[in-house]
Amino acid sequence: MGLREKKFRGVLLNSALIGASLFSMNTHAGEGYFGWVYGLDLQPMGKYEFEQRLQLTRGQETGTFDFWQGRTELEYGLSNDVQIAGYLNTYSINAARNYTNPDICDQGISPCTGGYGVQGLQHHADTFHQTSFDGVSIEGIWRITNPVTSPIGVGLYLEPTIGNLKNAIESRLILQSNFLDDRLQLVGNLVYEIEHLKFDVEPIEETVLDFVGGVTYRILPKLNIGMEYRFHNDYDGFSFGNQTQKAHFIGPNIHYAEKNWWLTAAMRTQIGGECWDPGTAECSMGKVWDGHGRNEYILKFGMPF
Amino acid sequence: MQWKSATLCGVMSLLPGVHLPAVYAKQYVSVEEVKNIFFHGELLQKVAISIPPHIQTLIRKESGVRQPLKGTDVWRSAEGSWLIVDEVVGKHEMITYAVGIDSAGAIKGIEVMQYNESYGGQIRERKWLAQFTGKKVDNRLRLNEDILNITGATLSAKHVTDGVRRVMILYREYLKGYQG
Repeated sequence: MGLREKKFRGVLLNSALIGASLFSMNTHAGEGYFGWVYGLDLQPMGKYEFEQRLQLTRGQETGTFDFWQGRTELEYGLSNDVQIAGYLNTYSINAARNYTNPDICDQGISPCTGGYGVQGLQHHADTFHQTSFDGVSIEGIWRITNPVTSPIGVGLYLEPTIGNLKNAIESRLILQSNFLDDRLQLVGNLVYEIEHLKFDVEPIEETVLDFVGGVTYRILPKLNIGMEYRFHNDYDGFSFGNQTQKAHFIGPNIHYAEKNWWLTAAMRTQIGGECWDPGTAECSMGKVWDGHGRNEYILKFGMPF
Repeated sequence: MQWKSATLCGVMSLLPGVHLPAVYAKQYVSVEEVKNIFFHGELLQKVAISIPPHIQTLIRKESGVRQPLKGTDVWRSAEGSWLIVDEVVGKHEMITYAVGIDSAGAIKGIEVMQYNESYGGQIRERKWLAQFTGKKVDNRLRLNEDILNITGATLSAKHVTDGVRRVMILYREYLKGYQG
């Protein structure tokens, strides 16, 4: 394990331990049943939840690409239908000879080193490692209708982010329907995000329009299993005039809740994607790369109090 | 579907490094205590009933509750009062509750006997449970209609309300004319 990796894991461990020591062991709502899909189970008014996420995006065309993201979150129920949260974001990128596209490997050196977070000057380096505190995000969710009492629960979500890698504003329309005594949840999010990518010399502005959706079913007390899907679309600039990529991801999730904590694990694999100019450099083998990988994994731990 | 959490816990405990905590289960009141609360010493006898499938179907259709009504914990007094103990799905585990019905078919009281969730315990509050007292099967017995919601405990409040409604449908369709 490299020094940077050790340092990064230390940061994550410390943040989790600090959270665990700060907060008492009572519990409330706001569980994340999915890895990437957001539902409408919010904190009741006046209640908090500490949450730690760890996500790994792994594998691109060839070589090595590991993109770790850590997010330490504190949620608070402003009212029974409005939840706010703050995040501290960290990341670690380990890339090595993972691209072959000649638009990136433009000096006859192939494979070269590329992907999200890798500066253009590093494309011909054997490896690229970077571990850092990224930045902060704040989040607000307004639950307009509750899926427990309405056929369709509807919510609005907003999350501005300021970071070293990017500044972004993400918004979501959250739809959720529950069935079978609320043990079966169908959830869909329409995601609209504008991003100002800052890790390279020349910043990139882009728009993301995604649909993420999933199903989860409580097969046993405390235990849910399900599936989730992502339809991802990127556009050049802050408009929908010039699409640069699209991709599909799908995978399973599992959620376990005890009285004082819950844990969710999920993975999704990229089943296909394509790119258009000016994003063609980020595609090969029928898949999209840059910040995406062959597989993505997420682990989420929540401790309401 | 019968849930087998004990089986799952047993299987998971076999995995190396997995030490599951003891199952948390909080029983607030026993059947005997409920009998005294609702019926003040009136003699109740346990009744073995078997709910016919067509009544089960009707109960499920009218109440919207999918979890089958077992009907294994039912008591009757000589005067025609009834005590039914039932369970509905909670956020993570089952909620066990009791419904007392007098000889005129009105709810004498509701008691939440076992509640294992870490929040939403407000459904045990007297003020909320008192909303059911005196209601009959012709009442709506629906959350946000004649039963007020508890914000922050919506799922538990809805499921208990739906459960009480199905017990009252059982009374109308089966217990009221029970000749056993």
